[in-house]
Amino acid sequence: MILADIFQLWNSSWPAGMTMLALGTGFAIVLLIASEKLKVKIDPKIEQIHQALPKVDCGACGFAGCGSYAKAVAEKPALIGKCAPGGPETAGKIAEILSLHISDSGPARKPMVHCRAQTDDKTYFATYQGIRTCIAANALANVQACKFGCLGFSDCVSACKFNALHVIDGLAVVDYEKCTGCGACSKACPRNLIEMVPFSQENMMTVACRSYENGKTTRSMCKVGCIGCGLCAKQTEIFAVEDNLARLDYDKYQLTGQTKTAFDKCPTGVIVLCGPTAPAPRQPSRKPASATA
Amino acid sequence: MGNPASNILSMKIATKGIFTFAGGTHPPQSKELTAESEIQRGPAVKQAAVMLSQHLGAACQPLLRKGNMVQAGQKIGDSDAFVSAPVHSPISGKVKDIALQSHTVLGRSPAIIIEAYEHNPTKRPVADKFTEEFDENKYSAEQICDAVRQAGIVGMGGAGFPTRVKIEPNPQFPKETMIINGCECEPYITCDYRIMLEWTNQIMAGIKLARKASGCSQVLIGIEDNKPEAIEVMSTVIEKSPNRDGIKVVPVKTKYPQGGERQLIQAILNKNVPTGGIPPMIGIVVLNVATAAAIAEAVVDNTPLTHRVVTVTGEAIDEPGNYYVPIGTSVEELIEFCGGVTQKSAKVIVGGPMMGIAIADLTTPITKTTGAITVLTKEQIGKAKFERQQTPCIRCGRCLEVCPEHLNPTKIAHAVKNNLLDVAESYYISGCMECGCCSYVCPANIELTGYIRTGKIFLARQKKKIPE
Repeated sequence: MILADIFQLWNSSWPAGMTMLALGTGFAIVLLIASEKLKVKIDPKIEQIHQALPKVDCGACGFAGCGSYAKAVAEKPALIGKCAPGGPETAGKIAEILSLHISDSGPARKPMVHCRAQTDDKTYFATYQGIRTCIAANALANVQACKFGCLGFSDCVSACKFNALHVIDGLAVVDYEKCTGCGACSKACPRNLIEMVPFSQENMMTVACRSYENGKTTRSMCKVGCIGCGLCAKQTEIFAVEDNLARLDYDKYQLTGQTKTAFDKCPTGVIVLCGPTAPAPRQPSRKPASATA
Repeated sequence: MGNPASNILSMKIATKGIFTFAGGTHPPQSKELTAESEIQRGPAVKQAAVMLSQHLGAACQPLLRKGNMVQAGQKIGDSDAFVSAPVHSPISGKVKDIALQSHTVLGRSPAIIIEAYEHNPTKRPVADKFTEEFDENKYSAEQICDAVRQAGIVGMGGAGFPTRVKIEPNPQFPKETMIINGCECEPYITCDYRIMLEWTNQIMAGIKLARKASGCSQVLIGIEDNKPEAIEVMSTVIEKSPNRDGIKVVPVKTKYPQGGERQLIQAILNKNVPTGGIPPMIGIVVLNVATAAAIAEAVVDNTPLTHRVVTVTGEAIDEPGNYYVPIGTSVEELIEFCGGVTQKSAKVIVGGPMMGIAIADLTTPITKTTGAITVLTKEQIGKAKFERQQTPCIRCGRCLEVCPEHLNPTKIAHAVKNNLLDVAESYYISGCMECGCCSYVCPANIELTGYIRTGKIFLARQKKKIPE
């Protein structure tokens, strides 16, 4: 009974099955020919480069993502060092794929926040009630007394794709363990406080202030601002005071006795060490140091 | 507040051709605080901080150094750029410093700080020098344009566009109509109203000079119909003066932002200024009444723009009034002169409550475009707004009804909030003039204007930093 049914089913359906099979084979042949004839030639190197990249699509290279950077670097090898999260390792791999020799590009650049004032160190004139982003707050005159310092509304934190930045007590702090050096935070900061610095040592020293105000004004607004006293510049020539602000020449920096003395002598403790194993910033000395001492 | 029925009505009126525009809102006027107080002399300042950037366009370069002596009216900053205006010292004294000062628009900007001599003669308004028989034909068009440039006159209504650029004849865009803006639609502010009442002849002289310089045939003075006295005084002066052909007072409907350049053109001439364009492109010049008065002073008296009338007002001020003050006076000094900041004051705003910008630093100096200082109490701001109690958007569409530029504020604000700047641009974020109507009517207290302003800053930053 059942067998008869199956036989009947087969009898009535085999022409349809055959037609489908014939059609399928026909289309398959057409597609096969088309895929060979209309083939877009992709440089195998692009795929190899893409494999070598960290594939985090951070945009540090200036391209939309790792895919478009791989394409660009295959065409224009001058862009080789642009991948910040990959660093020299990735650059080396790309150079190998493109059979090029690259020279050492120097130490990796990492962000450094040029402010060390936490909420208690800063002076506020009024409460800010506007939109809680740095870019909106920066457009307003004097959200806080210091016109240069960290606003602490986390624009850099939202720009960071690696969770390597946090605002702790009103100040952006870099987590150097997680940081890849893509530089997104430095672009996001409306006050240009975050600078990409070549980390020649594990921990780098810096003057964590950007205030060009004179010493008296800076002191009235911030407990830990640079007052431009020049004590550090007297110790070693890698420090220089210009426009009431001390600066450090990062290329010449070495942790020597002189820099250590400058670090210890700074009256406001604005010279700090940044890096994965850096100690906590020094507290400012109680007595205000005279500029001529 | 934000009654949809009234807005629909106003739209109907607009289509019939009565003098108003579509959209807008009706905030409480609160002008009675200072409307009756005559223009008084302001405080004798000890120090003036003259901003090097008080206008749209290139900032000035300082012409002096620290320690130099200056005379009142001396040019202290200038620029070679075409769209720019020089700045002058309002007082005689010594340059104390050239330093950054809080700026209401730019955040912070360099300023020349001048310490006054002990005996400094205070400047008086020059309105008495002008009579109804003023004849502008004594001056040539070039002479007028040159005097306006040298005096550093900029649009005193708020935007600060250099006036010389506006009135100078441009063969590409010949000018036909001049609109004099006496609307003063912003709540609380009365400085233009008082100028119209007290300096009428001076304004008339300025209008005639600007007409001569620009070659316009028609002059329309737009005044809101909540200022009947000003309309009457201006009409009487026009009737009495010679060469009055083509000068006419046009009463316009009282509505915020009637005093916006594009809204006024829409109301009076029923013409649309293209988005991204400026009125001269369609042959129209719009000047504020205070600018007209400054032009008359600059051409006839040869004095630069160093003083202006500022309304100090708000419920938290003990002695509100209209004061003739040197440009560069700090807000603090001016408020102190009017009784000081009291316990009840909650917010100090440079400008009016709708378009003004709240400041935290009271040393912010007065600029050429500062029309008012408004100090509000907590009750005026409203508890919900003061404590920033925002709720999600309920899509009621009130912001769309009131937007005088016919934009979609809620879409733009959401796009900016979510960092979708290309979407914001596709909704014409640049067409927003930040009048604040949308934020005012929003029942959810969303800071729509704030987000739009933030988006504009984002876009400006993005355009400057294009990757190679």
